[in-house]
Amino acid sequence: MDGQMLKQVITPYFTGAVKEGLSRLKAEAYRHMEEIRLRAAQPLLIKIGESEWGLTSRGELTEKLPEAITANREDLYRTIASISDNSLYAFEEEIRRGFITIPGGHRVGLAGQVIVQAEGIKGIKEFSSICFRLAREKKGCAQTILPHIISSGNIVNTLIISPPRCGKTTILRDIARSISTGYPACPPHNIAIIDERSEIAGTHRGLAQLDVGARSDVLDACPKAWGMMMAIRSLSPQVLIADEIGRKEDVEALQECINAGVAVICSIHARNLEEVKKRPLTKELLSQAAFRLGVVLSRRNGPGTVEEIIRWD
Amino acid sequence: MLGLKIIGAASIITGFGCWGLSAARRMDKRVGQLQELRLALGFLEKEISCIYSPLSQALARTAYFCRPPVSCLFELSSSILQEKSGITAAEAWNAGIEGLRLHSELQKMEIGLLATASLQLGVSEASQQKKLLTLLQEELALLEQKAMREAEGGRKMWTYSGFILGAMVVLLLI
Repeated sequence: MDGQMLKQVITPYFTGAVKEGLSRLKAEAYRHMEEIRLRAAQPLLIKIGESEWGLTSRGELTEKLPEAITANREDLYRTIASISDNSLYAFEEEIRRGFITIPGGHRVGLAGQVIVQAEGIKGIKEFSSICFRLAREKKGCAQTILPHIISSGNIVNTLIISPPRCGKTTILRDIARSISTGYPACPPHNIAIIDERSEIAGTHRGLAQLDVGARSDVLDACPKAWGMMMAIRSLSPQVLIADEIGRKEDVEALQECINAGVAVICSIHARNLEEVKKRPLTKELLSQAAFRLGVVLSRRNGPGTVEEIIRWD
Repeated sequence: MLGLKIIGAASIITGFGCWGLSAARRMDKRVGQLQELRLALGFLEKEISCIYSPLSQALARTAYFCRPPVSCLFELSSSILQEKSGITAAEAWNAGIEGLRLHSELQKMEIGLLATASLQLGVSEASQQKKLLTLLQEELALLEQKAMREAEGGRKMWTYSGFILGAMVVLLLI
């Protein structure tokens, strides 16, 4: 998505001075924009790459935060009304999870007073900050990894190891799209994507907003462990994709999938293999030779930099 | 000359009589509109709490379900929300109420009751929305009963008093 298109999609959600500033901001700035943050009575902040900027009412980026537009409660209220189409009741589950996915697959994180009841989090009220995380499709970003994942036309179980904001979800999405569609070295595969946080496919009202291929089934907002079991029982996938595994139940479900003969590609939050091995659950998974391939990512040369390819053949 | 006087007197009596009849009809219309509004809010409640339709869509469907002038409340607020120009549900609802006020026989108290819902409409979970709309319906039912009682007493009064007033004016002029 180019800057101009992203600008046209995002700015209508804002109102008042914030909208004016964002509308005046050059489309070029949207090209690499990652986040827009609104906090009550605080300056509006925009994250572009590694830098964070304020935004003036003239639509200029500034490092001097006192010059930047300050968001107020009214701005937050109106923005949330706009995101939810004035229908917070229709987004109860999303608000309980702390974010709403909007068309285009962009994720809007919410903070405020959390309402807790005996059964857990019930919702959020008195919103105090909003964070727009802009989703980006980078078709072809997994090209360097794909030849390692495919061995004689078959998909090998792969673990993508990456710290936050290093492009693991974008790479998982591109892997899903490529092996679902197929290409000369890889026949098309049926894929099940367990998208617990609606990040891989960016599903909005049941429709994937990002391209995950023609043979992908998405279990949106579904807890990974449940989703994996549901998928192998009902969707007969050849490949299963899940983001950010780590809980005990995730690891157990993953073992079930591998035992069922389904190839698994998933990601985990860690800086390197050593960190993964320090966790008892994932250490056990590795010792059982559940994965044949490990890919370590970083941001050294921008998001999605492949630091290391590890083979456990 | 006498013929002219008779025609004039008849016109005055008919004019006042029609005024009285229309006032009586307005009272009946008000009862009908309150009933229509209550049923429409019931429909909106189901749209929100059972189907979870987005508010603009729920309002549009409710407008389709009911007749003018009550439909104007839902139609207007839905069309404003569909513009997606940063307008909140409260602002759209209040604009719809203003439209309803101009085209209906509803009184200040009934319009005021509808306005109380504006700040809560759409901005809470489904169970709260259900509570809000159920309460509105219950309060409207009470107002409807009151309006019905007023209409029963007032219908005859307005019907006769129009003609009587007309006759009195004629007598005074003679």
